[in-house]
This record gives sequence, C-alpha cells and structure tokens, in this order.
Amino acid sequence: MSRTDPAGLGRGPLTRWLPVVGQASAEASDVQPFETRPGERPGRFVARVILSLPRVTVPSMLLAIVWQVGEAAVPVVMGVAIDRALGTGDAGALVLWIGVLVALYVALTAAARFTNRLNAYAIQRLAHRLRATLSTRVLHPGGGAEPDGGVVSVMTNDVARLANAGLLVVLPVARIAAIGFIAVSLLVTHWLLGVVVLVGAPEAVWLMGRLSERLSRDTRAYQELLAGTVGRATDLIAGYRVVKGVRAEAEATRRYRQASRETLAGAQRNAALLGRFLAGSGAVNGVFVAAVAGLAGWLAVDGQLGIGGLIAAVGLTQALLPQMESIASASIPNLAGARASAARILAAVDDRRPVAPVEVTPAPVVELPVLEVAGLGVPIRVAPGELVGVRADDGTAARIAGALLNPELGDRLEVRLDARPAHALAAAHYRSRVTVAPHRATLFTGTLRENLTLPAGEPGLLDAAVRAAACEDFAADLDRPVGENGNRLSGGQRQRVALARALATGAPILVLHDPTTAVDSVTEQTIAGRLAGVRTGRSTLLIASSPALLSRCDRVVDVPEAAS
Amino acid sequence: MTDDALPIAGDRETAREVWRLSRGHRVRLAAVVVLGVVSTAIDLIGPVAIGFLIDRVQERTADLGTVLTVTAALVVSAVLGAIGTAATIVLATRAYHAILAGLRERLVARALTLPQHRVERAGTGDLISRSSDDVTAVADAAPVVVPVVTATAFSIVVSLGGLAALEWPYAVALAVVLPVYGLALRWYLRTGPAVYRAERAAMSARAQQIVESQRGYATVLGFGLGEQRHHAVMTASWSVAVQALRARTVQSMFNTRLNLGECLSLAVILVVGFVLIEAGTSTVGGATTAMLLVLRLLGPVNQLMFVVDTLQSALASLNRMVGVVTTAAPDTPAASRTGTAVELRKVEFRYGDGPLVLDDITLDIPAGQRVAVVGPSGAGKTTLAAVIAGIHPPAAGTVKRPERTVMITQEAHVFAGTLRENLTLTAPDATDDLLRAALEVTGAAGLLDRLPDGLDTDLGGGGHELTAAQAQQVALARLVLADPELAIFDEAAAEAGSTDATLLDRAADAALAGRTGLVIAHRLSQAAACDLVVLMEHGRITERGTHAELVAAGGVYAGLWAAWEAGRDVRMVG
Repeated sequence: MSRTDPAGLGRGPLTRWLPVVGQASAEASDVQPFETRPGERPGRFVARVILSLPRVTVPSMLLAIVWQVGEAAVPVVMGVAIDRALGTGDAGALVLWIGVLVALYVALTAAARFTNRLNAYAIQRLAHRLRATLSTRVLHPGGGAEPDGGVVSVMTNDVARLANAGLLVVLPVARIAAIGFIAVSLLVTHWLLGVVVLVGAPEAVWLMGRLSERLSRDTRAYQELLAGTVGRATDLIAGYRVVKGVRAEAEATRRYRQASRETLAGAQRNAALLGRFLAGSGAVNGVFVAAVAGLAGWLAVDGQLGIGGLIAAVGLTQALLPQMESIASASIPNLAGARASAARILAAVDDRRPVAPVEVTPAPVVELPVLEVAGLGVPIRVAPGELVGVRADDGTAARIAGALLNPELGDRLEVRLDARPAHALAAAHYRSRVTVAPHRATLFTGTLRENLTLPAGEPGLLDAAVRAAACEDFAADLDRPVGENGNRLSGGQRQRVALARALATGAPILVLHDPTTAVDSVTEQTIAGRLAGVRTGRSTLLIASSPALLSRCDRVVDVPEAAS
Repeated sequence: MTDDALPIAGDRETAREVWRLSRGHRVRLAAVVVLGVVSTAIDLIGPVAIGFLIDRVQERTADLGTVLTVTAALVVSAVLGAIGTAATIVLATRAYHAILAGLRERLVARALTLPQHRVERAGTGDLISRSSDDVTAVADAAPVVVPVVTATAFSIVVSLGGLAALEWPYAVALAVVLPVYGLALRWYLRTGPAVYRAERAAMSARAQQIVESQRGYATVLGFGLGEQRHHAVMTASWSVAVQALRARTVQSMFNTRLNLGECLSLAVILVVGFVLIEAGTSTVGGATTAMLLVLRLLGPVNQLMFVVDTLQSALASLNRMVGVVTTAAPDTPAASRTGTAVELRKVEFRYGDGPLVLDDITLDIPAGQRVAVVGPSGAGKTTLAAVIAGIHPPAAGTVKRPERTVMITQEAHVFAGTLRENLTLTAPDATDDLLRAALEVTGAAGLLDRLPDGLDTDLGGGGHELTAAQAQQVALARLVLADPELAIFDEAAAEAGSTDATLLDRAADAALAGRTGLVIAHRLSQAAACDLVVLMEHGRITERGTHAELVAAGGVYAGLWAAWEAGRDVRMVG
C-alpha cells in the first residue's frame, strides 16, 4: 500500500501527491489542563469545555450550516428542475439546472468534508485536554489517596462523552439553520403550507420523542445485562485455573448459560420495543408527510401552486422531520450525557488537592536524614546507613507502609525526617529522599530495562540491583518485554523485578514492604544474603515477615499487635 | 507461538456453524424475507401515488376526490409500511440475538472444557477477548447491521424493482451510476479496515496505560514516577487522536464518493426524464415518481455502504468465536489411570518441544498421606502438581491418581457474585448449613459474621473486596465442599503475610484432614508438618524422606531449614 499511497489513506495516483490536510501532528501537543473551580456546576463546566476551542468550532459551525442547508435544498432544486426543464422541454433550462445541482453538491460535499474533519479535531483536542486534567490531578498527583478503578472509566468513557459535546456548538446550530431554510422555502412556496408544517412538525417530533424514551431506557437496561453476561464470561475465564482445579466446568457453564439466557430475554424485549418505536415513528412521519402532500396537492388542483412547488413541498417536508428528530434524539441526549459525565469528572477532580506530578531528583547520599515513624507502641528509627527490620501483623505493616508512602494521610502515624514532620515538607523534598516500594508492586508494559531504569535511578546500580534481587536466572536479556502488568513473568519473577527496581534507585532512604512473599525459600535466602551489600552507605527500612530477610537486618523492631 | 494460538474459523466454517445454530429460528428467518418484501412493496405506493397526482394535476383532471384518494393511499401505505418494516426488523433482530446467545454459550462451554494446557499455551487473554470483546462487538452490531441488512436491503431491491416495473428506462439509466458506488465501496473496504484497526489498537493501548497507572498508583507515588507516567498516558492519548482523525478522514473521503454517486443519479434522472418526456414515453409525474424513488434509495444505499465495515468486523469477531467452538480437543492421554493412591512411574514432561521440565519422576503417595514438595523456582514443582492433577498429560511414564482430585493454585480468584455463589461452584446443591460448616472448617466463620449480608454478600468486582487471605479461605472452603480424595495445594499461602500465613496454615491443615495431600510448600514450616518431604531441583527429585530424616541427612534441605530457623529466632532489639 505504501508505494502507491504513502499516507495509507487509500488515495489514488492522482491525489496521492497532495498534502494530507487536517491531520493531527504525530507529537503529542502540550496542553494546559482545564482549571476547575470548587463547587462548579456540571452544566457550567460543559459550557466552558465546549466553548474553549472557538477557533475550530466557529468555522466548523459555518461550514456545517452550508452542508445542512445544502442537503435540504436538493429536493427544491430537483422540483424546480423537473418543473422548469422537464415540464417545458427547454434544453437550455435542463443544462442550467443540472449545473445548479452539481454546484450544490460540490458546495455541500466540500462543506461536509471540512466540517467533519474540524469536528473530529475539536473532539480529540478537547478529550486530550480533559485527559491531561485528570492525569495530573487524579491519576498522577504528587500525593493523596489512591483513586479507585472508576477513574479508568472516567478517563475513557466520560472524557469521550464530554468531548463529544463539542459537536453541540456545531451540528444543532446547523440543523436549526436548515429547519429555518425549509420553513422559509415552504412559506415562500405557499404560506398555508409553511404554517401547517411549522405547527405540525414539532408535534410529530414530540410524538416520536415520547415513543423513543421508553426504548432508550430499555436499551440502557439491556446493555447493562449484556455487560453483565460479558463480565461473567471474563470472570470465569480469568478464574480458569480455579474452575479447572476444582472441576467445576459444568457448574460454571450452567451459570454462564443462565446469565446468557437472561440477556437474551432482555434483547428480545428490547427488540419488541424497538419495533414499536419504528412502527410508531414511521407511521407518524408517513402520515405527516401524507397530510402535507395532500394539502399541497389540493393547492395545486386549485391552481395556487405549480408542479415544482408541489414536488418541492413534498421533498422539503420529508427533509424536515429527520432534522428535527436528530436534534431530539441525538443533540439533547448528547447534552444530558455530557452533563452526567462532567459531574463524574468534577467529582473525580474535586475531592483532591490540585497537585501536579512531582519531578523527583534523588538527593545526594551524603545528606542522609534520620527517618522516624511515631505513633506505634514502639518508635521506629532508621539512623543514616542502617538496615532496620520491622515485624508487625499484616494490618499494622500496611499502615506503616501507607504512612511512609503518603505522610499527609498518616492514619494516626507521624513520619519524620530529621525530626521534622514529613507532612510539613514539600512533596518533592520528601520523595527525593524517601522511596517507598509498595508490597503490591506494579510492573509497566515495556521491557525489563524500561521497568528497571527510573528517572530517579542511578545507572551504575542496575547490574548490582538485578543481582541482589536474584534476577539472573531470567533477566539475562534486559530487553525482554514483561507483558501487560508483567504477565509474561511468574509471580515470583515479578516480585524480584520490583525489588531490583527499588534497589536500582539507590534512594537515600528505601522502604521495602514484604518484598519476597512470592519468592521461593531458596531464592529468598539468596536475596537476604545480598541485600545489605547493595544498600551499603544508604538507609533501608524493611517491613517484613520473612525470617530469612529479618535475620540479615542490623536490628529488628517488633511492633506488638496491640499497638495497632 | 503462532501454532499455539487458538484457531480462527474461515468464513465458510462460520457460516456452517451459524446455519446449524439457526435451527429453530428458520421459520422466523423465512418470515423476515416475506415480510420484508411485502412491506417495502407497500412503501412504493407513496412515490407512485404522488406521481399519479402530479400527472392528473397537469392534465387538469384532478379534483378533491383525486387528492383525497391519493392522500388516503399515502396514509395507508405509510402506516402499513412502517408496521411491516418494524415487524421485519424485530423478527430479524430476535433471530440474530437468539443465534448469538447460542454461540456465546457454546463458546464458554467449549472454552471451559478445553484442556488447560491448550488454553495456557494460547494464553487466557485471547480467550477472554473472544468471549468478551468479540461477543460485545457482535451484539452491538445488531442495531446497526440488522435493520440495514434486512429492511434497507429489501428496500433497495424493491425500490429498484419498482422503478424497473413502473418506469424501466430510469432503472436502466441508473446502471450507469453503479460502477461509481462499486468503486467507492472497493476503495473503502481496502482503506477503511486498517485505519479502524489502528484506531481501536490505539484506544486499547491508551486504556492499558491508564489502567496501569491506576493499579500501580502506590508504585508511581513511591518511586516518584508521576511525570513519566503522565507522559506515557498523554502520548497514548494523543496517538488515539492521530488515529481517530485518520479514520474520520477516510470516512469523509468515502462520503465524498457517495455524494458523487448521489449527484450523478439525480442528474441521470433529469436527463433521462427530459428525453423520455420529449419522446412522449414518460410524463412529469413519472419523472417525479422516479426522482422520489431515487431520493428514497439514496439514504438506504448510504447506510448500507457505511455498515459494510461494521459488518466486516462483526464477521471477523464471529470467526474468532467460532474458532474456539470448533477447536478439536486433543486425545486424552491414556497414561493416566485412577486409583485410591497417587503413583508416578518414570514420568517425564516438556512444554511443546522445549527441554525436559520433569525428568524421571517416580513418586508414591499412599492414601491419606501428605507430601510436601520444596525447591527453588523453576525446579518443576508447579508442573509436577499439574501433571498429578491431570492438567498436563505426561510425555512419558504413567500417572495414577484418585478419581476425585482437586487442585488449588496460588491465584485465589474470587468470582463476581455472592459468597454463596462462590462456594456452591463445587457443590451446587449444598445447603446453607453445609456452607457454614465448610467455612467453619477453614476458620472463616468469623469472616461470615463480618460480611454485611452474610452468604449473600456480593464479592469481587464492585462488591465487598476480600483480602488475599480471606480469598484463600474461601478457596479452601470450596475444596472442603468438593470433598476430594486427593487435594493439591500449589503455594496456597504464598501471598499472605506473617499472621495470615499461620492462619492459612491451620485452615489448610483442617481442609486436608482425612484426604491424601500434595503441598507445594513455600514456607518450610508447612513442609515440616507433612508425612514426606520431596526436594526438587532441575526437574528431578534430589532428596526425599521425612522432615526429620532430611534434616539429619545434612543435605540441601537441611541447609534451607537451618536458615529458616535462624530467621525465626530473630527477636526485637530496639
């Protein structure tokens, strides 16, 4: 494809040398996140978002008006052409009106083409900016509580829905312009036709809207059922080993079938409602057009209307209803959906402090501070260069690790650096000194090397860290991909890579939380033996239950269970 | 790797499977065809009636009666046509969903009965995507594809047919325009799918980046990766924008080609009408009928053109689904037999053509005894467990195991649904008392009291989230309810911390009572409690004996035990 069509857009030999206009640059553009105001109403936020790109949406709106009015003018031009050329047998008129028809199509096609591109650009640009907002404020803040899984759906579905509302400043405006054009054309054709259509059309559209309400409610219900069934299949297959291990294949299949049948019943019911809607709206539409045609026919019989006017009236009426209907069935739900999504986006952003991602530059090791955790039954203190173990029950261990990760959320514990409370320090200051490797470590899609080399890492430490975490057996090739969530590695391998990553940072103070629970006992011994060596000259706090690891600490603090 | 992937059915195979599944819906499908033709034929009355009216007006023979008759005809055809078309679509949609439901059920049933080693070679991700993404894609295509393929296609055929019957020269003339549409469609099918695929791929890459940042929040924060991850998410976000704009560009280029077809069709009607009227073989009313029929055709034609790619991708999804359904199960190995105890004789195993993972394993576990397997990662412990459980067929040697064998792995998956549903997976008819008793055995009676709705508490996705230890307790209770003769634990307590581990050790102990057991031990305290300990290295058994014997023998196991003991004795210093 690339030889004949370098852009991959299916362009032929005549057009392939033309530049491709209206594309996005390959480089992600740097966008300014949206400011959010506390207590801002979703409707206002929608307005602010969709009005934020006038240099794209205003030209697009003007083009859209040309497009929609042009579409509405097609039956008018055809009616006039039949009347003036075919009715009279005038060849010159035929050529003239075919010329008009072609010109009309050229104009409306070009307008449609550019407005659609501009709209797509506006939507993507708004979505990107909304995502930047959520990324800095919710997904990658400098601190604060962990966002729940819902943020994923907010950053994909809700962002898409709100950005899509960018169309609201383009299409409905153009549609209203087209409706105005149709109304004026009908009024010019015959005042009575204009009045009847203008009075009757809203009624017809209102009727169709009523018919569609029940259908869209039920469609949402059906889609939930379908999502449930699909989720059940995913769940069963995700638990494949469990199902196989306990020989529950038949029972699992039976359960899926049950869910699938319920969804099928929902789909059948939804189809019946769809049928009622289609029959109803088709009949309303047809009867309305029939009535207008009948009236126009009578006016023609009566001599008040020419043949061209009769044809144009029928054509215009047919073009009117879809315009009104799409405002009712697309634009209004679009706005409602955008408001709901805006509310969810604001809720996700609002309940956390406006903090941006923190740029971490590791502090030089010479200035090792003393780390203390207070608020437990026993004090934890890590003097410069020490390797201190902490043994606590699971709940307390998690609290200590949590407080070190997020000192401002403390949970009744106070973290201090050189006797100064950590929550009073700048986030960048704290994080450049204390690196916390959480127990539930995540590997990111990419290679081993990409996972192990961090912005704050020390390049020279990489090999030593890989060795200390006993990764030699599988990490000979550091350019090997780890898969999504590291799923190409076994649980034990993932944990060892995470440990190597922590050690490779060369952080002045490193906090490790149960780093070897999925590692076999033989390898754990190896790691325990190498840990102190790679952390020489730096401070390490090791929260662990493994005897093998704790036995190699300078000292171990036993936190009594009562302390939690 | 490609040999391991699950197959994708060909179009013909898919058609056969769909035809087979349509059994029971064929009367409905026949009705779709009849009803579709009849109702679109009724629809033709409209343009014909208007053409008739125009001719009467021109001849000045029309009166109020003509107008009323024409209006009545328009109303009747509109109402009957709408009802008939709606009924066609309903029937077709219902048949579509019924066939899809049959297919997805067969898919999941087949997926769950495929041999595990077959699925794991292919990766469960592929299976998950076929049973979720592909099922959703085919279901979501219904409202787009079904009306167009049934009602719209009929309307095109019938409108063209009507035009040919009423004003045949117009229909012949329109044939001139057909190549324009044909070329446009060919262009679109060559260009569109790749561009759309790229867009979808960019979207799933973006979702993946977002999910990783969210799941890895603690990691991102702890290591100060915020800037780096923000950049990764934004890059992924922008690449969706790039691909989406390309996709919309292709759509608007297609649209331009369709508009060309429209404009040509209308111009042809004008020219032909002019010539015919001059020749006296047509009337202004006839030309209007032809024009209205063509205007009415254009909408459906454009719709049909635009759903072709949805249709294509739904078909691709169908092929992937049918591929699973028609996957042949390999022969079950004859080397496995059932008995009361476990007997392995000279068992060998390798993955595909890889090196031997199990080499000359001979092992007996008498009924009621408990054996621990220890050793470094990669020694073949998990593979041994899977071979004993019958999940992997041995490459050589024989395996004998009890009929009722159950294995619990280190991934304690909690299924979405209530606690009761999670437990009754292995005992569909168990009473609440039995469920409670099973939880009691695994020390989870307290858990039951803490759950807001007891056995009816929703667990998993969106519901009450269990800790890793609680999930293991539920898994153990499932095992108790399955009541197997042989229970295999693969590092059942590996993910838990210290206090929970002790708890789980006790729970596992209770669940194993009275059964033959094989434990892949992570903590050596588990091994010490077993009747026999086996040390594996490089796929072979290198030491075996009771815990006391091995410790006394002073081998590798004894060294591990000494280190374990030393760690356990560390006490608080300050």
